[in-house]
Amino acid sequence: MSDKAPQHVVCDAAVALGRGLRELGLRTTVDAEIVLCRALAELDLRDRTSVYWAARCTMARHPDDVPLFDAVFARFWEGRTPVLRETGAEQGESDPRVPGPQHGGDSLPQFRTDGRSSPPLDGQASKASQEIPAAGAHEVEERGRKDFQGVLAAYSPLEVHGRPEALEYAEQELAALRRVAEDLRRAVPERRSRRRQPTTGSGRLDMRATVRDALRTDGETLRPSYSGPSRRPRRLLVVCDVSGSMERYSRALLGALEAVVGSGLRAETFVFATQLTRVTGPLHGHDAKRALAEARAAVADWSGGTRIGPSLAAFNRAYARRGFARGAIVIVISDGWDRDDPRQLAREVQRLQLQARRVVWINPRPTELGGQPLAMGMRAALPYIDDYLPGIDTRAMVELGRVLAGVGAGRPDRRQRPRATTT
Amino acid sequence: MSEGIEELRLALGRERYLADEGLATVLFLALRLRRPLLVEGEPGVGKTELAKAVAAATGARLLRLQCYEGIDLHSALYDWDYPRQLLHLRAGEPGELYSERFLLQRPLLEALRSDPERPTVLLIDELDRADDEFEAFLLEFLSDFQITIPEIGVIEAATPPVVIITSNRTRELHEALKRRCLYHWIEHPDLAREIAIARARLPEAPAALVSQVCAFVQELRWLDLYRLPGVGETLDWTQSLDVLGRDGLDAATADKTLGALVKTREDLERIRGGGLQELIDRAAERRGPPAA
Repeated sequence: MSDKAPQHVVCDAAVALGRGLRELGLRTTVDAEIVLCRALAELDLRDRTSVYWAARCTMARHPDDVPLFDAVFARFWEGRTPVLRETGAEQGESDPRVPGPQHGGDSLPQFRTDGRSSPPLDGQASKASQEIPAAGAHEVEERGRKDFQGVLAAYSPLEVHGRPEALEYAEQELAALRRVAEDLRRAVPERRSRRRQPTTGSGRLDMRATVRDALRTDGETLRPSYSGPSRRPRRLLVVCDVSGSMERYSRALLGALEAVVGSGLRAETFVFATQLTRVTGPLHGHDAKRALAEARAAVADWSGGTRIGPSLAAFNRAYARRGFARGAIVIVISDGWDRDDPRQLAREVQRLQLQARRVVWINPRPTELGGQPLAMGMRAALPYIDDYLPGIDTRAMVELGRVLAGVGAGRPDRRQRPRATTT
Repeated sequence: MSEGIEELRLALGRERYLADEGLATVLFLALRLRRPLLVEGEPGVGKTELAKAVAAATGARLLRLQCYEGIDLHSALYDWDYPRQLLHLRAGEPGELYSERFLLQRPLLEALRSDPERPTVLLIDELDRADDEFEAFLLEFLSDFQITIPEIGVIEAATPPVVIITSNRTRELHEALKRRCLYHWIEHPDLAREIAIARARLPEAPAALVSQVCAFVQELRWLDLYRLPGVGETLDWTQSLDVLGRDGLDAATADKTLGALVKTREDLERIRGGGLQELIDRAAERRGPPAA
């Protein structure tokens, strides 16, 4: 371990950077700042690259944080308050004030090429706190989220970013949601786990428990203990369409998603219209109302057009590649009205099916003609869906639990089918 | 770049692991500050190799803990030697049953008790495969390099091991664990670096072949594939072509050997459908990313 004591100015800088990142919603902690101080003491402070990597490996713990981190660090290095303003860099560029190293963690020393912090320009050297407008900071945060979190955005000329409708759940509805969560927890199919649990007389000999028991009887093993594999619920993946055509269901659907996440299951939730957004995080809080509002805020294209194929493609590439869907129960909730190539949709659903234990497609708004769904996308995807559930009134939400219970734990009976054309 | 970092980079280079400046800096800090290093990245960017290279470069012993679903305390930290305990009980010998005598070391405990003369690199591989309860076991270990065994007490490390944790991000690791680590995200290498890596790993392969293959793979990474080829696949493919006695890339051979590089049928069809020759030509004139 190194004994180099970090200099004061270095610590002030680390603290200021941490504050700047926090202002924009990056979760940095005080201990990260402390580690950064220690790290900086080991490095050549004139070297931007070294300082950058030291700060990044301590402060940004998520690849999605990196763009935001980069923006803040760039400003930090130039010696400006590491807060993006509403108008971005232009406004900050003309800011002549240089924050000086004064008391507390408010000031921000510069790392110029001489490696020393620059002196305050005058007695009024601005403090970081003065640079951050209280109301503006919130807007910045909103902006930051929008800019940096929708990384999977697929461009669409027709995309309409609608305003999320007012969202308030009555106490009654919340209670219903909790019931749904409970139903779900019971209904989700299980799989064999590698963990073991005690059994009565079958399975493998459990030495640990046997020795413990023998201790009670002076070393005599009266009855050996056994253990067998335990069962755990399968991972649940819910991919939900929130486009314009699904608008009247979206409020209820999000409620259902929230119930899924809150049910204590291993669940991941995504919503899409023209782009795919992961909403597990926002939905994971304990305050359902706030979670729903946050989830809505995270979805840029609420009630815009639909691009199911590209959205599933984004899912297959960004998430399924890493094993998200493996052995999972995948539930797609959509009406299948897609404005893109149905062949792509078919390909992506097939890909999903190859990895998932079961693909369930819930279509709340089925339109049929002679028993065949009318929506092109729906028709194309149908051969690759294990359970197609048309006409389920998701507004009643309770149905979802019942649906899942009906899915069962077994592998679906899949026949070899002619593959989707790849041209 | 500081001297220490450059030195480390050279040392890794001698083990044929070519780290970029970012990785070298972060690794340098992890070694200096004695913090565990958490590396994440796409499959095949060399996360596990990194730990092996660090061990080789520092002359340390490598201990590897491969995580899997259901891994628990007793396969990662310590366990008791139950058959011996039972025998001991039956024989009625004096002595405590839960003592050092009957303690079995698993990788984490072994890392703590390793020879002070010889440093240890502990690789905790694919932590995201373990269930999240397991992360809680690691917290004490990672922050204080100690383990508490209820029957014995606290076991501390004489010399803290270098800890490298890898994850494929199939799930988000817990914040508490991340807080105890330095974090680094490894990207796929750029063309120059990938060529350098292939040259270092496969010194016998013709230089022209190596650069053509690497450019081709870089080109593939811009395609919309389900599974992007990693450096490991690049090396496999180069080797395959070399074994076949090719000193350059041609469409016919590429077509026959593509299975060493791309391992999904859909991706194979996509690449072949787009025309191999065209890809090879594009790779040949490759400078920057092609227009989408």
